[in-house]
Amino acid sequence: MPPAIIQVESTGQWQRRSVGNDNAPRVPEILQRSGGLRAGVSREVARATGMPEAEVYGVGSFYHLLARPNAEIRVCTGLSCALAGAPRVLVAATQAGLAAEPCSCLAGCDVAPAVLRDRTVIPAVTVADVERAGPDASRLGSDSLGDDQRWLGTIGPERGDPEQLALHLGGAKDLAARAYQRSLALGPEGTIAEIEASGLQGRGGAGFPAHIKWSAVRRQAGTTRYVVLNADEGEPGTFKDREVLMRRPDLVVEGLAIAARALGAEDVYLYLRGEFEIPWRSLEQAIAAFEETRVFDGLRFHFHAGHGAYICGEETALLEALEGRRGMPRLKPPFPVEVGLWGKPTLIHNVETIACVPAILNRGGAWFKNLGRGEAGSKLYCVSGHVTHPGTYELPLGVTLDELVEAAGGYVGTLKAFSPGGASSGFLPASERRRSLGFEALAEAGSMLGSAGVVVLNDTVDMRWAAMQQLRFFEDESCGQCAPCRIGTRYLRVSLERHIDGERAGHSAPALDKVSEAAWQMNEGSICGLGQVAPLPLTTALEHFPEDFAT
Amino acid sequence: MTEDHRITLQGESIAVSPGETILDAAARAGVEIPTLCHDPRLEPAGACRTCLVEIDGWRRLAPACATVAHPGMIVTTENARIDRHRRSLLALYATDHPADRAASEMGAPDQLLAMTERYDAPTDWGTMPPCREGRPDDRNPYIHYEPDTCILCARCTRYCAEVEGVSAITLAGRGSQTTISTVDRLSLLDTTCELCGGCVDVCPTGAMTEKLPLVREQKPERELEKIRTTCNYCGVGCQLDLNVDPEANDGRGAVVKVTSPEPGTTTNDGNLCVKGRFAYDFIDHPDRLTVPLIRGADGALHEASWDDALEAAARGLLGVKARHGPDALGFVSSSRCTVEENYLVQKLARAVFGTNNVHQCAAT
Ligand SMILES: Cc1cc2nc3c(=O)[nH]c(=O)nc-3n(C[C@H](O)[C@H](O)[C@H](O)COP(=O)(O)O)c2cc1C
Ligand code: SF4
Repeated sequence: MPPAIIQVESTGQWQRRSVGNDNAPRVPEILQRSGGLRAGVSREVARATGMPEAEVYGVGSFYHLLARPNAEIRVCTGLSCALAGAPRVLVAATQAGLAAEPCSCLAGCDVAPAVLRDRTVIPAVTVADVERAGPDASRLGSDSLGDDQRWLGTIGPERGDPEQLALHLGGAKDLAARAYQRSLALGPEGTIAEIEASGLQGRGGAGFPAHIKWSAVRRQAGTTRYVVLNADEGEPGTFKDREVLMRRPDLVVEGLAIAARALGAEDVYLYLRGEFEIPWRSLEQAIAAFEETRVFDGLRFHFHAGHGAYICGEETALLEALEGRRGMPRLKPPFPVEVGLWGKPTLIHNVETIACVPAILNRGGAWFKNLGRGEAGSKLYCVSGHVTHPGTYELPLGVTLDELVEAAGGYVGTLKAFSPGGASSGFLPASERRRSLGFEALAEAGSMLGSAGVVVLNDTVDMRWAAMQQLRFFEDESCGQCAPCRIGTRYLRVSLERHIDGERAGHSAPALDKVSEAAWQMNEGSICGLGQVAPLPLTTALEHFPEDFAT
Repeated sequence: MTEDHRITLQGESIAVSPGETILDAAARAGVEIPTLCHDPRLEPAGACRTCLVEIDGWRRLAPACATVAHPGMIVTTENARIDRHRRSLLALYATDHPADRAASEMGAPDQLLAMTERYDAPTDWGTMPPCREGRPDDRNPYIHYEPDTCILCARCTRYCAEVEGVSAITLAGRGSQTTISTVDRLSLLDTTCELCGGCVDVCPTGAMTEKLPLVREQKPERELEKIRTTCNYCGVGCQLDLNVDPEANDGRGAVVKVTSPEPGTTTNDGNLCVKGRFAYDFIDHPDRLTVPLIRGADGALHEASWDDALEAAARGLLGVKARHGPDALGFVSSSRCTVEENYLVQKLARAVFGTNNVHQCAAT
């Protein structure tokens, strides 16, 4: 049975918090233009916008690109970048005299280690690069490639049959908008029926059937509706949306236009993480190109940049961010399809999900459905870590790890563990290498496909170290709103540290004995998915690799 | 409340009114659901997670404070899952909170510690070092923020925004570092804060607390006697509770703190202003005038009876009128007076002395 969206009345929580001020949504951007959260800036921005000054400060302090304005470069310390030597790059940069800081995943795990300068990602930065550039950050990544070329990663499979690929990342951009025309001919009901027939599931993490959300928005009484693109890609191990935006922005724009027309929306909001300056430009160009043909006349596309907060990928935190507040997830229900952006019915989709829509309309739902194994469609798998060619591979939904890694040129070393869907999916042991990487099959294993950010670890990796990287990530990126996650993420990290320290000091380390109960609490008690899954890296490492924790 | 608006709450069928939350319905039915971040004056935040209940057909536990009781809902407030939830949640809170109740209750009662005892939650999960930033140098005279006891329920920031409309404080930072801050971490005196002390009143753990009782190392609030009275700083008539330490002043007792009554019980709905809440220090102040004084021929002030004092004042006023006419007199009454008292002052001015020169300090 497909999951239903629980319909409930809103307590009005949203309305009360939103009283205010048309300038609110612009506050983060104005803070950015004013140089970030330096002393006195909040007060100026408050004066200019009419927002309360403490609120401006509270918003700015939430987003680390605003809150920490003095960093000249930020080095990704996500698991894949850490495996590729990011900590050494960070040290070298500091020694070279740069104001360098660690940061969370930059969606560049295939070109690790990734470094951020201003809002531009520089891929594959080595210690030698940093030493050569010295204290001048602008000399990093100053090779002959343009920014937009440099960040393109490997795509595959090499001999992929375009007839079997819904996205075909290597294909030419297509501005003919045939799928859009076909959708107009089918009408809203027909379009949604086609989406239903395709079996398309959300590719942002939850795998929720797309057509249920489309129908739910369409059913709402209110006629002001919005379509929102979730391009906040930040789950460690995940970088597929970046490739879609840079290579096939045409699919994204056309998919959004189809959704907007089918649901009766005129305004489309594009939320891109702040570090996606390069993908942003690509998307902007695609919209400009479509505008020349005037095919989407009557639709308005609004861009909104994030400012450094993984949690804003959670759909209701994203809505808060769009409205100009601290990106703290809302209570659900009500779901965004009922009470979304500015309280209106809102469809939110991941970049990849929306990019599947044109092919579904062009070739039919049944065609799309048959591309997958067990579940529908072809799927972008990101693979990084210990494989020969890290990159983005479009394969039938439900391939196994072995098949995926074969497409990526094979394992480096002996497989020990892998994360099938980013940090949030925890770790699975090598014995699961022939399990289907599908939503259902992975849920059965207590894991999840999530965003399909597959990270491969070989037997040189200590699972305590790997778990620690992920725990730090969740602790840094928790919004801090609810106690189970705010306290729990820190508690797990501290427990693991005490365990390791205790072992070093030579006494048996009991520091992990409360971990499973704390994990249970985080799962039951947390408001959103972040806190609910944050314990998985540690609990699954303990479950599958007890020998790494033996004292 | 109509017959078709009923839910089942812990096995009992109860009537609910449209839009009512599960928490409110349960309170009416006398069913206990613990809360920390709830305040009837505020929109629900659902953030402290203590009020989670089970609803049939819902996979996840739901916050009773923020979930509307829909007709037909079957709600469970006590079972093994909820008990485990409360105990493990409180155990987690305890790792991030001072355990010493005496120390933590220097300012105000700590509902978190009381709840930990009430639900017999484990306190052996270890503790973590403090991680939240405060503003120890804030030079404002009244309000102290103790970050270590803060549970980030955001009652203070929501109160400041939603009830006072001031928004002087905010949640700041993110994740485990989240704290309560002013703009640029300035002193409250340099912000829009009106020092109403509502943040102190709504804080469930005493993290927002009053400075004076801390400095005086006073008894914990629960050992003080509360005496309900009407604030006499202005004519609005707010109710407040004088907190009296009966042993102070060699057994004569002393007002050592003022708190506001529960919201919803008095006209001021639990709110007070800076004067009502914090300006009680004059009561036992050595400079305070406690008897009438009359300036003698020697130029010094001498204690007198009320009769003599009134007599002297009347003589003086009548003397001015006789020498310079009634309009040489002017009467200014205090905003601490009631409407009736103000009425009497103008009556005195007009009918007794014959002048319209009458004013009240709250009129401008
Ligand atoms: C902590 C957290 C982070 C998330 N980050 C993203 C993200 O970066 N991109 C994304 O598309 N979805 C993300 N999601 C999932 C969204 O909440 C939402 O389910 C998704 O955008 C819906 O689109 P879909 O149906 O196309 O998957 C995240 C969820 C959680 C709980
Ligand atoms: S689970 Fe974590 S990220 Fe989600 S609302 Fe709670 S504190 Fe914020």
